Amino acid sequence: MSAAAASPATGAAPRPWPWRGVLLPLAILAVWQALGMLGGNVRTPLPTRVVAAARDLIASGDLPWGIAQSLGRVFLGFAVAALIAIPLGLAMGAFRSIERNVDPLIESFRPIAAIAILPLAILWLGTGTAAAVMIVAYAAFFPIVVNTVAGAGRVEPTLLRAAATMGLSRFATLRTVVIPAALPAIGVGLRIGMGVAWTAIIAAELAVGAKAGGGTTGGIGQMMFVFYAYSIELNRIVVCMIAVGLVALVLDRAIRLGMRLLMPWAPRP
Amino acid sequence: MKTAPRADALPDGASTRIAAPKLRLEGVCKRFDVSGAHATVAVADFTLDIAGGEFLVIVGPSGCGKTTVLNVLAGLDAPTSGAVTIDGRAIRGPGPDRGVMFQDYALFPWHTVWGNVEFGLRHGPAGAGLDADARRKRVAGYVDLVGLSGSEAKYPHQLSGGMRQRVALARLMANEPDVLLMDEPLAALDAQTRIILQDELLRIWGQDRPAAKRRTVVFITHAIDEAVFLADRVAVMTSHPGRIKAVIDVGLPRPRNDATRALPQFQALTQHIWSLIRDEAYRATVT
Repeated sequence: MSAAAASPATGAAPRPWPWRGVLLPLAILAVWQALGMLGGNVRTPLPTRVVAAARDLIASGDLPWGIAQSLGRVFLGFAVAALIAIPLGLAMGAFRSIERNVDPLIESFRPIAAIAILPLAILWLGTGTAAAVMIVAYAAFFPIVVNTVAGAGRVEPTLLRAAATMGLSRFATLRTVVIPAALPAIGVGLRIGMGVAWTAIIAAELAVGAKAGGGTTGGIGQMMFVFYAYSIELNRIVVCMIAVGLVALVLDRAIRLGMRLLMPWAPRP
Repeated sequence: MKTAPRADALPDGASTRIAAPKLRLEGVCKRFDVSGAHATVAVADFTLDIAGGEFLVIVGPSGCGKTTVLNVLAGLDAPTSGAVTIDGRAIRGPGPDRGVMFQDYALFPWHTVWGNVEFGLRHGPAGAGLDADARRKRVAGYVDLVGLSGSEAKYPHQLSGGMRQRVALARLMANEPDVLLMDEPLAALDAQTRIILQDELLRIWGQDRPAAKRRTVVFITHAIDEAVFLADRVAVMTSHPGRIKAVIDVGLPRPRNDATRALPQFQALTQHIWSLIRDEAYRATVT
């Protein structure tokens, strides 16, 4: 009878309106549109103009091409960073002597923002892809190495003891215990590293593009700079900003999915 | 109530030395230096011989240094002074001849049940000379022995405490070490699971086989009834510093089973051991 009493109650419970989550953003867009139409000028970015600009940029292929350009550099720089940071981090985490020697070096470079090495990158590598890749790799390196050190250095001691009592050599223990135990932390480092890599590429392309004077191979960062400095198209800049955010979201979700597939034992990130 | 009821044939304080022991601890001392200033003596003047094929249980109140003794035998801790030998050879570090079952099981979370049981055979010297097929047979045999057939593909976090304990036992057994060192392996389990696993442990150890074919076990517990049920001999320890207070021959017939727990000798031995450590256990609880 309690079930009978409960069932109308659940039936009467207000079902959450599925579009409730978009109400506030829609309201903000509406206010933005209204204010812009009342007090703006012909260049003022408005939601309607941004949508039109997005349609143009996608149809012309400029936006997809720019994103592809930037992504190529991000992946290259990210791969360079991971290939150096993960082995180095594992060595530092597993061997105190290495950590003691390398850690001060890393910690003294870490506060230097990626954008601050732009002058060096341009002087050494020119204004092309190489400089942008170097900046991305520099930015992504630190979160990956710091997290890998933490993961490899904080392996459950009884797991190391268990391996020792089974007669494993030091190298076998590193391979079969330390690395798998550090994987979740490495995954966190890769996620953060990808985030800062994507941030750094926009900054790098803004500046690299400034020197090159624009072009069609500059990636999305350079597109933004061209719209700002040459054609003064604010709506298109907003389109680029939104695209940057969406791409970052997709990259993060992709890494999380990859980690989950690779580590079915680990708690969900 | 200081005088405990004493069963017959309890050679209290009987010699801790035997001829040709499997394991020998001689005058072992272990001191831990806490930041150099304050040294704690965990174990002092610990002398005990353990025969091949013997099931020896060390029992004592918490913090009495039981685990330290086990770690010294495992080679995970070096004694501050004294000698530890296996078959007359000095123990200098961990080795595959002495398998350890840790209190928290120490299962590898990234390996399935199968991967955990297989670990030592795949990555350690215990699997040398086994081809993939022989290894598979051995792993399947021990997974079956501990009753985990059908759960091979599960990860440790998907298992109950009792099942994890079985995985740890199967991993230990699969390496087929001469000596099994077990650190309160049943401590984290509920009372019923514990009784069931005590029975199974004796079966897996081989209490039906002749003594010469059994493996040597050093088993640590703070549960006195568990000690009496499992052991050939019980070494009773006291703390601060950890020392042997008595070594007691259990002498209950094997194979042991539920009926063993009801025997008057079982009760008497349990009472007797409790009387040896009661005062200290109270003190440890109150302070």
